[in-house]
Amino acid sequence: MASLKTKKSFSKLYTWLPIILLFVSVLNEFDFNYLNLEYFSFNFPFILIFFFTLKDFKHFDYLFVFFAGLLNDTVIGLPLGISSLSYTLICIATAYIRNITIRPNPIKDWFYFLFVITLINSLNYTILTLFFSYEIILTSYLVNTTFTFLLYIIFLTIFKYYMKGVND
Amino acid sequence: MASSRDDFIIAIRSAFLKKSTQQKFSLLTLVFISIFIILLSSLDFKAVRYLKAGLSELVYRSSFIVSIPENFIKNSYQNAMEYSTFFNRYQKNKDELENFKSNFVSNEIIRYENQELKVLIDDYISSSNKILAKIIVDHDSPFLKSIIINKGSKDDIKIGTNIYDQSYLVGRVIEVNYKTSRVLLLSDLNSNVPVTIAPQNIQAIVTGTGDNYGQIKYIRSGLAEELIDESIVYTSGTGAIFKSGVPIGKLRSNSIDPSNRYNVEFYSDFTQLKYVYAEIITQIEIPSIDQNIFMTEEKIDEFSEAKLKILEDELKIIEETNIKFMEENENLITEINQLNNKISILNNKIFSQKQKINQFNIDTQELEFLKLNLEYGHKCRKSFLNTDGFNLGTEGYKSCVLNKGRIDG
Repeated sequence: MASLKTKKSFSKLYTWLPIILLFVSVLNEFDFNYLNLEYFSFNFPFILIFFFTLKDFKHFDYLFVFFAGLLNDTVIGLPLGISSLSYTLICIATAYIRNITIRPNPIKDWFYFLFVITLINSLNYTILTLFFSYEIILTSYLVNTTFTFLLYIIFLTIFKYYMKGVND
Repeated sequence: MASSRDDFIIAIRSAFLKKSTQQKFSLLTLVFISIFIILLSSLDFKAVRYLKAGLSELVYRSSFIVSIPENFIKNSYQNAMEYSTFFNRYQKNKDELENFKSNFVSNEIIRYENQELKVLIDDYISSSNKILAKIIVDHDSPFLKSIIINKGSKDDIKIGTNIYDQSYLVGRVIEVNYKTSRVLLLSDLNSNVPVTIAPQNIQAIVTGTGDNYGQIKYIRSGLAEELIDESIVYTSGTGAIFKSGVPIGKLRSNSIDPSNRYNVEFYSDFTQLKYVYAEIITQIEIPSIDQNIFMTEEKIDEFSEAKLKILEDELKIIEETNIKFMEENENLITEINQLNNKISILNNKIFSQKQKINQFNIDTQELEFLKLNLEYGHKCRKSFLNTDGFNLGTEGYKSCVLNKGRIDG
């Protein structure tokens, strides 16, 4: 009986793993920056949100995504609401592609992801420079977008295994 | 065509407004809320400021806890890298410490003199108190170079408080919460520091680059030519944002970018910061001499006593150094004597060897003469038949024998 209970709670935790991972990643902002690789950074929350909202994962609530954005702004030190808007726009983009797609194709999704993150990063850059007078290195944004795009396919494989585990 | 446009509109509308069973808010609502919060942030409303301060308190602590595993990996990696150069750095630090100890005394004297002079010009005294702060969040973001420290308004931290790594400036506070604060590092793109470049005494502004070095900007035309490698960059205090005379870094020539010949290499490594000092400055007005002359005299006495103590310390250091020098001198004299002895022994050896060589040369010549004498002696000797010859033992005879019996002239 006790074993069954443990198994059940573990399974519950397993289904909530993506949203936990999202909160951990925005609080921790892990991107291997301490390795001091000059041209390496990526945005893990973008990958996570894009994948799980595209799959319409049941525990991936938009409200949590919105709150994760607020936390991200606080940790990074950006004006409040910027990341929330970015994350919500990703959700809109994935909801749109989900509505118009009959037969999903990972490669098409991948390139659509590139289009979405480029658009969102451009919007971020515009808001921060125009309305908040932030000085931002454009190269950093480009590098970040490129690596986020390239790493998406790797995380896609991992997340597919996870989804398979959840469905089983 | 119309059908395709309808499909697009339906898909967009559905994306914005449709809520699946699990979702509590439509995306359009969330977009509006985000935009509303951004607008409030840009207008700097008090309510948003308080909300952000409250959120920051919670988030920074959570971030610190969540970052523990990553920090563990990061620290282990850095420790492993540090151990490889541990001994060399220890030796270097030991030497530097000796130098700093002696420099410290001179600095203290200057500091007291400065205070004394401020009293004389009826100014104010800035008493500063440096408090130690721990860095709780240090995400080296490529977009914003900032750190979070565990001291806030509770500890008298204000916006603009200067933050140090030992005596080196690392940045200033840009956001204050009750128990935490955000520090904008000098390396951030948005950081601008008025500086003086010594020894040329050039005024400039150092801006961050987003990397671990700074750039010199807003320098008067023509003065850039006067800059040299290794020049010291310290705060000028212009604008009263940063305290004057705080070291920042030194100039390093930059061969890559011709428009910017020199970069500022910061003394402090911002990626290795664990603890920093926040300087809490309180300005104390000095009462005028007429009003409270006794108090001022008392203060002057206090300064003089402190200065005297410093001078005594300096004297002690000088005496100790003198004793060390004398000991070194004695050692050197003994060494010189020993070396002189060695030199005289070696000279004797050389002389005896030279004598031996000379003797050997003479013997060789004698042997050669005797050999030739046996063969050609009869041709050179004066006799009845050989009237051109020479008498035995004469120089002519000798040269004739050495010429193998040929009689010259």
